[in-house]
Amino acid sequence: MKPAFLIVFLKEFKETVRDRRALGLLALFTVMYPVMLGYMLNQQISRSTKPEREGVALAVIGARQAPTLMAQLKQKNITVQQLGPMDEEAIGALLRARKVVALLRLSEHYAENYAAMRPARIELWFDSAADNGARQRDIEEVLAAYSSSVASARLLAHGVSPATLAPVQLQRYDTGSTAARSAGLIGSVLGFLFFPAFICGLSAAVDSTAGERERRSLEVLMAQPARPVDLIVGKWLTAGALAVIGITLELTLAHAILSWLPLEEIGMAWRVTTADLALVCLASVPLSLLAAALQVALAMNARSFKEAQSVLSLVVLVPMVPGIVVAMLDLKTALWMYMVPMLSNQTLLREIAKGGAMDGLPFVLTFLSSLLPALAAVAFASWRLRSERYVLAV
Amino acid sequence: MIEVHDVRKQFGAVQALGGVSFSARDGQITALLGPNGAGKTTLLRLLVGLLKRDHGSIAIDGVDPAADPMAVRRNIGFLTDQFGLYERLSTREYLSYFGELNGMAPAVLAARIGAVTELLAMDDILERRAKGFSQGQRIKVALARTLLHRPRHLLLDEPSRGLDVMSTRALRSALTALRADGCCVIMATHVMQEVTHLCDDVIVIAKGHTVAQGSPQELCRRTGIANLEDAFVSLVGTEEGIA
Repeated sequence: MKPAFLIVFLKEFKETVRDRRALGLLALFTVMYPVMLGYMLNQQISRSTKPEREGVALAVIGARQAPTLMAQLKQKNITVQQLGPMDEEAIGALLRARKVVALLRLSEHYAENYAAMRPARIELWFDSAADNGARQRDIEEVLAAYSSSVASARLLAHGVSPATLAPVQLQRYDTGSTAARSAGLIGSVLGFLFFPAFICGLSAAVDSTAGERERRSLEVLMAQPARPVDLIVGKWLTAGALAVIGITLELTLAHAILSWLPLEEIGMAWRVTTADLALVCLASVPLSLLAAALQVALAMNARSFKEAQSVLSLVVLVPMVPGIVVAMLDLKTALWMYMVPMLSNQTLLREIAKGGAMDGLPFVLTFLSSLLPALAAVAFASWRLRSERYVLAV
Repeated sequence: MIEVHDVRKQFGAVQALGGVSFSARDGQITALLGPNGAGKTTLLRLLVGLLKRDHGSIAIDGVDPAADPMAVRRNIGFLTDQFGLYERLSTREYLSYFGELNGMAPAVLAARIGAVTELLAMDDILERRAKGFSQGQRIKVALARTLLHRPRHLLLDEPSRGLDVMSTRALRSALTALRADGCCVIMATHVMQEVTHLCDDVIVIAKGHTVAQGSPQELCRRTGIANLEDAFVSLVGTEEGIA
């Protein structure tokens, strides 16, 4: 004969699988995040591997008046596209089309003013919404360099040292490396990888407790010859199984994507083998079970299905807090981190991804840090289901 | 055989049951009459061991539900005031679920599902999922669940509500068959006609106390009123709260 908790589990699982909304949520969360993550990282990689100033296209009106400037732009690998006179609207349309980074318009009297050593005006037109800041700065730098070289030549012709023009010499040093910049990124990436543990079982947990109570079938179930602990364990395992399935699929997909991307290009590393992944998935099983246990324990006590949903949608955010705090305070990995559910899984995966050697203790701690509270939550829920006050509220 | 002696139950300051005593014999249908709020639901919950009494004794075939609720429940079919169907399960799956929870072996279960389906004339909905069932279909499924494991005791909370004439007759013949089998049936109801036609014994409770127990004829005789409904009102002592 099947044990009662297994009967409850099989029935709840069958029911949940028939709930399209719950399955849709499961599919969305397992696929969406890894794909989104892969897309973002891929964008970043392609941006950083693009040769500098490759194809910076610049439109110029009245280019013939300044041949030296044009030559200097060309030297800096900026392609000049000569255009006839245009009005403001046409310029706007041209920039919106994103074919050129910016547009230079030399005033009609440019050559005349230049020859007379009066300020010769050049207009720089750009679209700040186009996210071309770096290339636009390149163009401005060329213009500034050209301007100061002409000024120097003129001063020299008047017997003044060009050094007078530069009382201060500015030299820039950037100590930020791509590795340091992406360290923060991978930290936040990993933080969210475990989120589905709290999402995928949510619907089943709420439906089988608060939902069952609201549909008034719970009293019938409680009057069956099955112990409260069997009912709770059956429902807990249903939500837990969905979370385990969800997070295992998601981690596998994320692993496939992260292994495939050339992350070295942006100074990130994903040194996770398939065996590591299996261990991480295994260590995340208790996390899913903890999520399910908490959800069952909370949802069964909610006054209605709606209340259960709204309470739980806030509660799923709580496990993220330790990870965020650690990231904000920039704490070094310590053993205590493996004793905090969720944070332990994040820390474990981060350390493995770095490629460091791991001993067994972090795995064991990660496993237990979630499993023990999960069992406590199940015990609480079973005790609660048995209590008279709960029966009265059913 | 269900024997209840001086059972009391208090929720905080509210005395839900203040002293209920009766015995319901095997092979009889016992009606449980009482205005809304008389304590019928509390009484039924005490009988299946969902609640614990403060005082008195309950014996269901000699077993105390407070001491061994699992043994008592295996021998009770409990139809609550809600049907408790699962919309995404078919009738057969629903019945299998509760049959398995009652420890029925697969072969026995399949045979019993066939039997109750025939008894309640519900072949048409056996493979359908409960979503969209009519009131009558719902109560048939719930009743089938109640009868499935051949319990010796049946606790039915208003089993005939929402049933059309044909289904009411089917229910009545099912209950008569169970009585002939020697089951002990307790049926809470508000339909006096049903009581006069079907029930051998009547328990009247009001404000948490047993007011009277006896056959419908006895109750009429004792109150000196020919009509059971009027006799009931006279026993309860007020016209209030009668649905």
